[in-house]
Amino acid sequence: MSEDKEKIISEAVEKALQGDMDTINNIEDRVTRSKAKAALVKAKRAKVVSDEDSTKEDNASESKVEEKINFNQTLCKKISEKFSDSIDGDQNNDWIQLKPENWLKIAKWLKSDEELFFDSLQCNTGMDLGEGVLESRYNLHSMKHLHKVEIRIKVSAEKPDIPSVEQVWRVADWFERETYDMFGINFIGHRDLRRILLPDDWEGWPLRKDYEEQETYHGIIVPKVKEGWE
Amino acid sequence: MGVVHGQEMVLNIGPQHPATHGVLRLQVKTDGEIISEITPYMGYLHRCFEKHCENVTYEQVIPFTDRCDYLASMTMNFGYVVAMEQLMEIKVNDRVEYIRVIMAELQRIASHLLGIGAFGLDLGAFTPFLHMLRDRERILDIFEMTCGARLLYNYMWVGGLSHDLPTGFVEATLNFLDYFEPKVDEFENLLGHNKIFVERTADIGIMPAEVAISYGVTGPNLRGSGVKWDLRIDDPYSIYDRFDFNVPVGKGMKGTVGDCWDRFYVRIHEIRESIKIVRQAIDQLPKEGDVHQAMPKKIRPPKGSIYRRTESPRGDLGYYIESDGSDTPYRVKMRSPAFTALSVLNEIGAGWLMSDVLGILGSLDIVLGEIDR
Repeated sequence: MSEDKEKIISEAVEKALQGDMDTINNIEDRVTRSKAKAALVKAKRAKVVSDEDSTKEDNASESKVEEKINFNQTLCKKISEKFSDSIDGDQNNDWIQLKPENWLKIAKWLKSDEELFFDSLQCNTGMDLGEGVLESRYNLHSMKHLHKVEIRIKVSAEKPDIPSVEQVWRVADWFERETYDMFGINFIGHRDLRRILLPDDWEGWPLRKDYEEQETYHGIIVPKVKEGWE
Repeated sequence: MGVVHGQEMVLNIGPQHPATHGVLRLQVKTDGEIISEITPYMGYLHRCFEKHCENVTYEQVIPFTDRCDYLASMTMNFGYVVAMEQLMEIKVNDRVEYIRVIMAELQRIASHLLGIGAFGLDLGAFTPFLHMLRDRERILDIFEMTCGARLLYNYMWVGGLSHDLPTGFVEATLNFLDYFEPKVDEFENLLGHNKIFVERTADIGIMPAEVAISYGVTGPNLRGSGVKWDLRIDDPYSIYDRFDFNVPVGKGMKGTVGDCWDRFYVRIHEIRESIKIVRQAIDQLPKEGDVHQAMPKKIRPPKGSIYRRTESPRGDLGYYIESDGSDTPYRVKMRSPAFTALSVLNEIGAGWLMSDVLGILGSLDIVLGEIDR
């Protein structure tokens, strides 16, 4: 960069800091202009940092955690008032544990209630907790109110039935198919519950902890000894 | 006049077909030229990423994330390390944060260039594709200079980076940006305002905002539907709150909000915003700071779980990590943005002509490696 360009930039930044943005916007060369704008942001930032107090940040993050705990507790209370006998076991501050029976009704309510308005299902995943217990976890998020919650539903591996929420959030269609594919959780009421990533004739549920590969697949021997890759 | 129905025909597109952007099979039911139903079949690239993760240590997961979305490996690394650092409560120093942002934004430019280029290619525009690949090469050169790899970097590690920046990196990047910035206008004119391209994308494959949200479509596709939603601003991570940039949304300039042209428009404008961010980041880049400073000797997160999303070039990239306190993950789940984007194809693609469906698929900018994992 030539010297006079630098001079133009530094002059423009100084003027902009005093409130006169026209000098920057009038620079003709596009590249110089964006460089000047970048320099301006830097100068503004340096000002702000010198005023900030580091203890403020700590307080902010603490109050955020408290807010989240409070939100979870109130939501949990609301659910148990509206749908009796749907909360499962002891509650945790980070998630809400539900029984499978009322899940579809609760999901519809979570999505339609004005105050909650969980319009997006961010993630659905299965989890093998061992000892024959499977879990399906849902991360919900509201794009309007910007709050989020994690719902967990436990089922036994012998009878892994959970109501499907595919018609509440359409994204659950493929998410549930994937969880079914990997864990064998049976989503009742799903209109198209097929394997999605694995072939239709694959045996077993790969992400369960007690999974064992099948001996052969279409006459191809599945290698069991994983030599040299650890 | 009543609607005339012809005989229904089932047609296969793929698995090997240039327009499917990877190994994807679409089974389409057609009534004459009109598509009545699209059923995607995937899994041809399935490598059991999540099962592998349960058998390797936390740092060995990072190369696997590279290979999921091979067109945006930096941001795939970025999402994973952000989630891990939040789970382990590690705070990295400013130099690391700035380098990560520079890399992620350069990667976003490279990925969008290929996304737009391949979209044009699907519709028969061959020249812009070559121009975009030419400039993407320059970004790959910068990456090669930094970490030695051109496609799969394994660059961001939990608590730091694999290498510090090489000498001459800042000059090379600034040189590239000075060269590249005017080229963006050229691309926009060459492709975006080309009459044939506009005719084939405007008012086609319209995705209303409610449909996009319900199907979990995120990133440029969601913003193309007019929803101002960007995790870099709405759920900030790393140091994105320090930069001044805009979030472009689809405005329906050539047709209706949420059509294929709007998705193109959002991507080309995001390239401009990324250039802005890279410039600011290079200006503010601290000279001092050890990139290995915050790296733990042994990665052993406390018991617990985390779900963390970041903004990859394709949308919300989420990692769900469950730790049992040992040095291998109990479960890692990747919530892939292209997976949800593909799920909406039947909803927005049915009812259009055969030739439009490939355009709609191209406008969604999917990467099969990430869908199949």
